[in-house]
Amino acid sequence: MNQRMIGASQARLNITWDGQNGDLPDSVPFDASDAEIKAWASEALRGGGVPGVTAARRADLQDFVIDRFPATDEMPYNRLFVRPKTPFGIQCG
Amino acid sequence: MIEVAVVLDRQHRPLHWHEPPDADAAALPDSRDLWEALWAARAQLSGVAHSHLHRGRPAPSWTDLTTFAACEAGLGVRLSWWIVTLDDASCFTHRGPGRYDYTGRTAIDQETAAWIAELRRRSLRDHPAGGLETP
Repeated sequence: MNQRMIGASQARLNITWDGQNGDLPDSVPFDASDAEIKAWASEALRGGGVPGVTAARRADLQDFVIDRFPATDEMPYNRLFVRPKTPFGIQCG
Repeated sequence: MIEVAVVLDRQHRPLHWHEPPDADAAALPDSRDLWEALWAARAQLSGVAHSHLHRGRPAPSWTDLTTFAACEAGLGVRLSWWIVTLDDASCFTHRGPGRYDYTGRTAIDQETAAWIAELRRRSLRDHPAGGLETP
């Protein structure tokens, strides 16, 4: 993805699945909901649309979370990461 | 007392201790740092252990089970998930058929006992009773 093409309200979406990791070719809205982001990521994984990640027809991101990083001086575009959740124990709220 | 986790290599040696400041006696919150430690260690990773601060047989919570499944899906490998209570320890692995069907077993060898004792010590470090004996 060409970072110059990522607008201020857009973000690069990185997805981790099955020991592989890649960026979605198209940018996505930075303020999209977690559910929307997971739906786009799932669709891309199932269709083989994530460079560097083998198509996974049964990809299910139900237990994954979204990390959001706004643009900085060092990284001049917004970034979203879809990754597995990692909490343990009894979660309240 | 706080819950603590430790990332283990294939020789069952600690690779990374996870003791976040926002942990408490009942839970370890979601952590990008822990995920990055798992991802960085994925070539040598065998599993993750965490403490439950009660006595008796360990059993995974629903949060635990969904975390086991999520991390294995992200890493593309099955792992061993140890739960260590104050006087017992079990290792849970996926047995299926369902996504969250994990079965526990107890098999504590000498190397395992060493990090179990350290996990308890770190979990109890502010407890007036101090560390408890290894079973």
